[in-house]
Amino acid sequence: MRAPVDRRPEVVILGDSLTAGLGLDTPQGFPALLQQRIDERGLDFTVVNAGVSGDTSAGGLRRLEWALEGNPRVLVVALGGNDALRGLPTDELERNLAAIIDRGTREGLEVILAGMEAPPNNGPEYTARFRRVYRDLAKAHDVVLIPFLLDGVAGEATLNQADGIHPNAEGARLVAETVWHALEPVLTVASETR
Amino acid sequence: MMFIARMIAREMRSSWRRLLFFFVCIAVGVGAIVALRSVIQSVRQTFAGEARALITADAIITSNRRLDPELLSLIERRLAEAGAAELESVEIATMVRASDASAGLTRMVELRAVEPGFPYYGRMALTGGQAFSHDLLRDFGVLVRPELLAQLRLQVGEGLLIGTKRFVIRGVIEAEPGRRLGAFSLGPRVLVSMEDLHATGLLAFGSRASYQRLLKVPDAALDGLITTLRADLANAFARVRSYKATEDDIGEDFARAEDYLSLVGLVILILGGIGVSSVTRVFVQQKIRSIAVLKCVGARSSQLLAIYLAQVITLGLAGSGLGVALAAGAIAAIPAWLAAAATPGVAIEYGLTAPAVLQGLGIGLLVSVLFALVPLLDVRHVKPSRLLREEASAPRRDPVQWITIGAVAAALVALTVWQAGSWRIGLVVTVGFAVTALVLHLAGLLLIRLIRPLAWSRWFALRHAVLQLSRPGSQVRIVLLAVGLGSFFIIAVRSLQENLIAEFAVDLSPEAPDMFMLDIQPDQVEAVRALVTARQDPGAPPPRLLPVLRARVVGVQGRDVQLENYEDVRGRGSLAREYTITYRTALEANERLVEGAFWSDAGPTQPGAEAGMTPATEVSVEESIRDRFGIAVGDVMRFDVLGRVIEARVTSVRHVEWSDSRAGGFMFVFRPGVLDRAPHASIAFFRAPSEAAARGRLQADLVAVAPNVSLIDGREILQAIEVVVDNVTLAVTVVGSLVVLSGLLILVGAVAMTKFRRIYEAAIFKTLGATRRLIMAVLLLEYGLLGSLAGLIGSLGAVGLTWGIARFALEIPFRPLPLLTAAGVVVTGALVAAVGIAASWDVLQRKPLATLRAE
Repeated sequence: MRAPVDRRPEVVILGDSLTAGLGLDTPQGFPALLQQRIDERGLDFTVVNAGVSGDTSAGGLRRLEWALEGNPRVLVVALGGNDALRGLPTDELERNLAAIIDRGTREGLEVILAGMEAPPNNGPEYTARFRRVYRDLAKAHDVVLIPFLLDGVAGEATLNQADGIHPNAEGARLVAETVWHALEPVLTVASETR
Repeated sequence: MMFIARMIAREMRSSWRRLLFFFVCIAVGVGAIVALRSVIQSVRQTFAGEARALITADAIITSNRRLDPELLSLIERRLAEAGAAELESVEIATMVRASDASAGLTRMVELRAVEPGFPYYGRMALTGGQAFSHDLLRDFGVLVRPELLAQLRLQVGEGLLIGTKRFVIRGVIEAEPGRRLGAFSLGPRVLVSMEDLHATGLLAFGSRASYQRLLKVPDAALDGLITTLRADLANAFARVRSYKATEDDIGEDFARAEDYLSLVGLVILILGGIGVSSVTRVFVQQKIRSIAVLKCVGARSSQLLAIYLAQVITLGLAGSGLGVALAAGAIAAIPAWLAAAATPGVAIEYGLTAPAVLQGLGIGLLVSVLFALVPLLDVRHVKPSRLLREEASAPRRDPVQWITIGAVAAALVALTVWQAGSWRIGLVVTVGFAVTALVLHLAGLLLIRLIRPLAWSRWFALRHAVLQLSRPGSQVRIVLLAVGLGSFFIIAVRSLQENLIAEFAVDLSPEAPDMFMLDIQPDQVEAVRALVTARQDPGAPPPRLLPVLRARVVGVQGRDVQLENYEDVRGRGSLAREYTITYRTALEANERLVEGAFWSDAGPTQPGAEAGMTPATEVSVEESIRDRFGIAVGDVMRFDVLGRVIEARVTSVRHVEWSDSRAGGFMFVFRPGVLDRAPHASIAFFRAPSEAAARGRLQADLVAVAPNVSLIDGREILQAIEVVVDNVTLAVTVVGSLVVLSGLLILVGAVAMTKFRRIYEAAIFKTLGATRRLIMAVLLLEYGLLGSLAGLIGSLGAVGLTWGIARFALEIPFRPLPLLTAAGVVVTGALVAAVGIAASWDVLQRKPLATLRAE
């Protein structure tokens, strides 16, 4: 199924519509922008966009195996947005994300956890618990944490599409910047140790 | 002038019997129009009320962000100019829990905050008959749905924590107006006041909320205001929608029903006109001798024309008056039998409406004059010599008559367009009318030529039936035209009605699914299925689960295509967007194979995966994919499924009936075998238990089994749709029956009018020794032949008209109805023959001597 030619190590981004680039052309999405950065830096990695619109942490966990079937080296976990929008229990989110991280580290991957925030309308208790999940997991599993994937983008009318949820092309550039900030050192180290 | 007035009085006195049918035609036509229009307007008002209740206002401005202060002041200015009032409302999803901390259960709800005065339309129904008022919400009061109480184990009077504030539950919502139809529901409704929402701190930067301004606008200013506001807010991410909006499906259905009802009014009008036209024609023919006498003594054509026109006007007015009275009686009778059929909860107030009465009177008069004018012009050709010489010359048409015909036709087209309320429908009907009339005329000529050889038949009855039809000035043309057009319209209205109702037919049967689940993971499928099955009412069909995946198309036919090549018009989406796909081994009920062959089993699970050469699996694409992107059977498409590329050969093309999406609609359906191994979630739809508490419990228990699964309760939405559909269906059926009834009456009249000719002929036949039986056989053959032909042409015309209207005016799929069409032909033939015999009954009975003497 996968063309056998391409056996470069992979950066797998396991995510939702933010990763899939809902409403954007593929080259405008942040995974494509990251690939661009990687190529510019002359690094030898392929970015795999494993983003599925509407997917929750529960869905992400169940398709992890499929996403990791290639030649993964780095796993970026960018899930939780839909859990928040649907008000799913934070315990569940924590369990699912923990299982994903565990599996990644067991496979010897560098794992980066992209933090997500629940919108304030969900209520202060929920948003606080939600935020804590990412902090705690990153600490407990000793993985790199991006504090908030949509940092500086969420809520800004000019950086989002008309639905107010999904970044536009400009917003996606900022998201790529945020992720790159965490990804670059990891890739640099990974290239050296290979 | 005195002469004309005196003549009108005399004429009317002497010939009122003969004009009785003219009178009846107009009365029935006008009566039908007035009754129909009144019913339409009553139903429309109810619909308008319902449509308003759906958005709880005349118009609504929605935005997912707070509007700028400048914009807000602009909106306020516009509203003041239009004399409109407004209410603010906000909807958000939020997590709530019982306010005493020991209960750790939290639940997502859809909170709506409103200002005093809500709702402008519709009624907020609370359980136990409690009356809704804004005071219930003041000072941190909250109204909730019963399922929330069940889920959080709370009762009225206890506290609910929303944001940082404690609210007191003051009542339970039974039904709520303005619950958005078809919208995703994240949880049960919770209603609070606007000020209190601000106090909760939930509306902070980054909050997801729907900001709404509900508008109450004077009717006359509504459309203008909407247009202005749309222009003002064009760049502000805000949507302006009036209750008339045709944007959503329900709105579209309303508009369709209105167009249809107007069209039907018009059909009745034309049927009445046909009756009037044939009555006038016969009347003038009968008056030829007295007209000739009058001309002998010096009456001018213009005077005679004035006399008869004045008579037509008098009759038209009187007939219209009677029609209004008939309509009043009919409408008074409606509520009695309708009460049983109507949907409870929606009260339609039926009554005569002033505009309907005025329109009926005006149209009655106009139709009388328009349809009588052309036959009346024959008066000018009557020569005094007619007194001495009987000649059956076909009336010649002179330029004045042609101009009049043109003017009358133009006036009718204008009437049509006005009554149909749309240029398109008006033109489709007019063209259909003209084509059918032309075909009927040509068919008449052809028929006469074709049957002429039969005039030498040895069978007397047949010979004379043919002679009757083919002699100059026979009734062929009139009957063919009247009956043909009549059946044309009746069949067209009937089949349009079937088409419309079929379009409305959402599956609302008691077994139809009313609850939906999203995001069921593979390891949860069996548990969810078991839970649902255990809770369903006995006899409910088992839940259906569909696997769904997301995929993008990354290439077609092995060329590593850049997708821009296949990109369609931007905005309609390109091939590269994410598609929801599924796999299965059979077509669904709403699908039809257009091209290729659909597999019937799962494909190989181990294709030459690593070889990367042969396509791994097969895919069936929807018609629009083929049409828009030029993808054909045999092409190999490459899909990115969750980050992995899968090749599939297109082996079939399907047509999906999108309006019937109970089984879901998929652009791409895969052959099982490969995709089953890809991780994917399922969606489920099923009939949930009917009891509200049981539904609440199901939801609560689902959290334990599969916490990530989202459940959408469609019950209220379905119920709301049901009410609307029932009303539309009822109105359409009532109206359709009225057309058939009035159409039949007028057709009966048109055939009966030919009887005046028959009296004389029958007398002659009898004198010459014909038996009553023989004359009856002649009549039967003659009218049966005519009726069947008229019915046939009318039916074919009706099929064409229905197709045209469905396709171009109402924009619904056309369903041919062969049975109805065939029945139309047979019934028309039989009916015309029966009416012909019945109308000639006294002709058969009458002694020939009496008839001949009278002449």
